[in-house]
Amino acid sequence: MSELTIVIALAISFSLVLLRLLIPRRHAHKDGSEIDLSIENTLPRHYRYLPQVRQALSAIDAKYLNEKASPAVARKAIQERRAITRHFLAGLLEDFSSLERLARTVAALSPAISREQETARLILGVKFRVLYVWVWLRLSTGHVPLGQIGQLTNQVGIFAARMEEAMVAVSALSAPELNT
Amino acid sequence: MSHRDLILWCSTLGFELVLCVLVYARGLQRRLPFFSCYVTLLLLGTLGMEPIYVHFGFRSPTFYYADWITMGLNTMGRSLAIAELCNYGLRAYRGVWSITWRFLTILVFVFLGHAAIDAWGQPSWFATYVLTLARDVEFTSVLVLIALLFIRRYYGIGLESLEKWIAVGICLFCVVDAVNKTMLRDLLSSSFFHLSRMQPEIEQLNELCNIINRSAFMVSMGIWCFALRKPLPAPAATPQLLPAGVYEELSPAVNLRLRAFNDRLLEMLKP
Repeated sequence: MSELTIVIALAISFSLVLLRLLIPRRHAHKDGSEIDLSIENTLPRHYRYLPQVRQALSAIDAKYLNEKASPAVARKAIQERRAITRHFLAGLLEDFSSLERLARTVAALSPAISREQETARLILGVKFRVLYVWVWLRLSTGHVPLGQIGQLTNQVGIFAARMEEAMVAVSALSAPELNT
Repeated sequence: MSHRDLILWCSTLGFELVLCVLVYARGLQRRLPFFSCYVTLLLLGTLGMEPIYVHFGFRSPTFYYADWITMGLNTMGRSLAIAELCNYGLRAYRGVWSITWRFLTILVFVFLGHAAIDAWGQPSWFATYVLTLARDVEFTSVLVLIALLFIRRYYGIGLESLEKWIAVGICLFCVVDAVNKTMLRDLLSSSFFHLSRMQPEIEQLNELCNIINRSAFMVSMGIWCFALRKPLPAPAATPQLLPAGVYEELSPAVNLRLRAFNDRLLEMLKP
């Protein structure tokens, strides 16, 4: 490949990336800023559906279906359960992103930030997305036991509760600053 | 000067004049002084090259060196304007800026180092050497602007419309110029040992590159004029920063939770 071809390919890629970066995100304000410290927009929400998801994933339900229902109905039920799990997984991604956004907002509004913390978070974000795609694929092909998702939801619920406490503390600390 | 060259020269001058008037009429020199200087430099360059062209001619060494010097000054002016653009929107966010300027400086040194090494490998000829260097500087400019936009997006820091259009204009011109310079340099390098035979082809390509370059430049200036068509809005209010302790407390806690999310996902993937 000649150097000119590489340069033209680079030029086109740069232009596309630039265009992508200039389009404001859905949740951006009018000025393009996304800084938002409100608790309802930054804290994980999907863990609240934990009881319903747990019910959908319960092993007892699965056993009952296998014993009582016809194979076609049982298969359909398993497909639906997997669909629910995929939706929940998507919600989990949203929760993860909310936490990330909260951390980035706090970093943006802080007078000093740590390079190590920021790099670690960037890497964690990339890693989560790679793992997410992997789990999603394995879930779709039936290679992940649904019960394990239940354990994951438990964990998210505990984290979210702790984060809510932390956020209340942050709001209390930052409210006088933000109001001035 | 051919009829086509004259039209190009007049259009460029026209755009530069309108842009300069708009920049000073809107008081942009108080907000972005380096960008205003760059715009003024462009106009002075175009005006200054004309008497040299008329007096010494296109093929004279004086015109040749004056052209390179003008190009160098324009590149320097543009680089300063880019640095200013980086600083302008982020300086209020002290924490983010402290990381960003270091990151962008490293990026600039890495790419300029690469540019110097790349240029060094070229045949020992002033034109190809400078063309390679200039091409890589253009790409560095685009990369710095993209990195800046990425950092702003990552931290959710908005972009004023004017900054956005200035960045788009600079990127457009730099990208087109980099492609042009590569084409020209490739031809110059390949014809290094039989220059006299290739002379007509080099001149033809040079002319084509000149037209493309000037057209892209006029589009960029058009974009900047468009951004300055209305009076500038008041600068965004300086954000109220949080107490330092909030970040120190919250950031490690969030990272810990994000890490736990990943660990759980990893566990799920274990056989």
